[in-house]
Amino acid sequence: MSSLNASLATALSGLIAEQGALQTTTNNVSNVNTPGYSRQQPVLVSSDPVVVDPLTFGTGVTLQSVESIRDPILESRIQQETQGQGQFGSLASALQQTQVNFSSNSGDIGTSISNFFDSINQLSTNPADLSLRQGVLTSAGNLATSLNTTANNLTQQRSNLDLSVVQTVSQINQFTQQIAQLNGQISTLQNVGQNAGTFIDQRTQLIDQLSSLVDVSVIPSDNTITLTTANGTSLVTGQQSFQLQTQANSSGLHDIYAQGVDITSTIASGLVGGTLQARDQQIPAIQSQLDSLAAGLANSVNGVQAGGFDLNGVRGTNLFTPPPISGVGAAATISVAITDPALIAASSDGRAGSNGNAEAMYALRNQAVISGQSPTDYYSGVIFNVGNATANAVAEQSASALVLQQLNDQRASISGVSLDQEAANMVQYQQAYSASAQVISTINSMMQTVINMKTS
Amino acid sequence: MRVNPNPLPDTLVALAQTQQQINTDLQQIASGQSVNVPSDNPAAAAELIQNSGQTSEADQFLRSAGSVQGEIQNADSTLNSVITSLQRAISLGVEGANGTLNSSDRAALATEVTGIQAQLISLANLTYQGNYVFAGTATQTTPYVLNPSSPSGVTYQGNTGVNSVTLGNHFTLQTNVPGSKLFSAPGNDMFQSIQDLITGLQSGTGISTAVNEVSSAYGYIDEQRVFYGNAVNQLNAQQTYLNSETTQLAQQQNKLGGADLTVVISNLTNAETARQAALAAVGQTARINLFDFIK
Repeated sequence: MSSLNASLATALSGLIAEQGALQTTTNNVSNVNTPGYSRQQPVLVSSDPVVVDPLTFGTGVTLQSVESIRDPILESRIQQETQGQGQFGSLASALQQTQVNFSSNSGDIGTSISNFFDSINQLSTNPADLSLRQGVLTSAGNLATSLNTTANNLTQQRSNLDLSVVQTVSQINQFTQQIAQLNGQISTLQNVGQNAGTFIDQRTQLIDQLSSLVDVSVIPSDNTITLTTANGTSLVTGQQSFQLQTQANSSGLHDIYAQGVDITSTIASGLVGGTLQARDQQIPAIQSQLDSLAAGLANSVNGVQAGGFDLNGVRGTNLFTPPPISGVGAAATISVAITDPALIAASSDGRAGSNGNAEAMYALRNQAVISGQSPTDYYSGVIFNVGNATANAVAEQSASALVLQQLNDQRASISGVSLDQEAANMVQYQQAYSASAQVISTINSMMQTVINMKTS
Repeated sequence: MRVNPNPLPDTLVALAQTQQQINTDLQQIASGQSVNVPSDNPAAAAELIQNSGQTSEADQFLRSAGSVQGEIQNADSTLNSVITSLQRAISLGVEGANGTLNSSDRAALATEVTGIQAQLISLANLTYQGNYVFAGTATQTTPYVLNPSSPSGVTYQGNTGVNSVTLGNHFTLQTNVPGSKLFSAPGNDMFQSIQDLITGLQSGTGISTAVNEVSSAYGYIDEQRVFYGNAVNQLNAQQTYLNSETTQLAQQQNKLGGADLTVVISNLTNAETARQAALAAVGQTARINLFDFIK
């Protein structure tokens, strides 16, 4: 048979449990705007019953734990998508800066090519005229300058991207260090059966941020997680983090090393992945096309020069400095090799009035002198490649942003704090608390009755 | 079903998207171009490069045609003067062949023809913008100098070179005829015929033969003059063609890269409406929740 004291204890368990439940509501409401916070939910279970033969009585309620509501699979999807978002975001932003060099203006390469050939055509109408010859030298100089400027801008952009790689790696190292620390705190708490929800939220948030920087794989194990790079090198194992290193290579750009291994080429996504793609693939590809353009122009013009005669009847010499044999760096280094306009080999017969060689030089405008294409056609191909790469990166970024937004919506619908729900919970806990208090008050008056029974 | 309790980030994304659309539209309206950077339309951007290359080339062809035109017109009118001079020489020769003239009359005629010879040399030494027009490609050398020891009375110091200038994608125009072909062609040597006429008038023999030679040279040069007349016609035709090509290229450029303002402005209006609606939605949501109703 149960006692009034036992009932008092049972009612008290209700008070304590509802108070605890109200505490989770309070915490949820406080964290309504905390990034990465997963709402918490009290786990109330009825306490073990006591058997007072022949009856079994309940002994109230226990606040067994407070659990964070989250979907680990969804979170890992978000981390993957965040990697893509970081990659395409940085790639798109890099290429958008790159393509500014290729928008039409008075000094762009396309216009310079046109102006150069225009000046030769004009010279052809009066090959002995020194001012027309000077015009050719000037436009050749402008062409060289526009190629130099664009090539140098691209090189500068690559070293800016390189700086960003180095900075991002140090950011990655900070994140992995923090994650390793959190791993320690989480396993300490969980080993003693405590709720580590808040720390797990923080860790999830950090992994999200890390994912936006680099592609990591998250491998959960007992009470902890292991983070590895795409090629399987450990970044975080339990409470230990492994720092990534950067080291300048022969071209002055930095490679990324994990535990002594060069992993630069294996990093495919995240901000670093996108930056590396721009630095090591996309921009170098454009540079090499510009080099082909510069080398093709210089070689073909120089070739025609050598076949003609200058104003003094002397065989022509190079108009442009000869490009490097490999062609690498041709766009950055091309310059006009002569300063005397008389040295332009416009004549095909050695006489000042002959324009035969100027005509031959003009014909280069529509000849397949660069990879089977005319200079302007080749340059328009470069424009297409630059525009296409940029447009693709931007489209990928938008698509990935949309997916990420939907995933985040989904996560918020599971883990986000709803003030409506918290208000309803609060009312519910408050009412239960009042009811338990009322029960205690009733037991109290019953106690009084019992006590008064003796004295009366 | 549980829904995302905080849709504000989504609304902000929507706001950013409409703002992006508005920025793009405004840029297109301001520049009048739908392709402002290559990624706006890579294929059109590439075609625009080719288009502007072709436009630049056509404009240059027009300028070069203008430069060439002056020289050719000058040469043409000079040849006209040559023909007039030759006509005068012929009539002097015919007069000299009249047996009634005495030697001093003929000497006077010979002096006049010598004057014509000097005139012809001067005409054949026409310069245009610092170049001798009838010197072949030796444009810096005086083509004809008087040389009493030469049978033709002159020496040709030019060469046989001709220049052609590209004035269209499949159009090159020969711009000169060298003196060697015009005035000193074997069998139709103008200066030889004039020299023969002078010698004939001075000696009183072979005047008629010399007159025939001059007539023949006259006919030959008149024939050669057609070259310049044709060149002028071809230039005019090419200029007409280039002008229409420039217009077509401009139309094509506009089609490729010009902003369709009607569409852009309508897009802009839509984007602005969408943005206002999104803003109003954010304002309306006003973050009311159950807490506001629990007293």
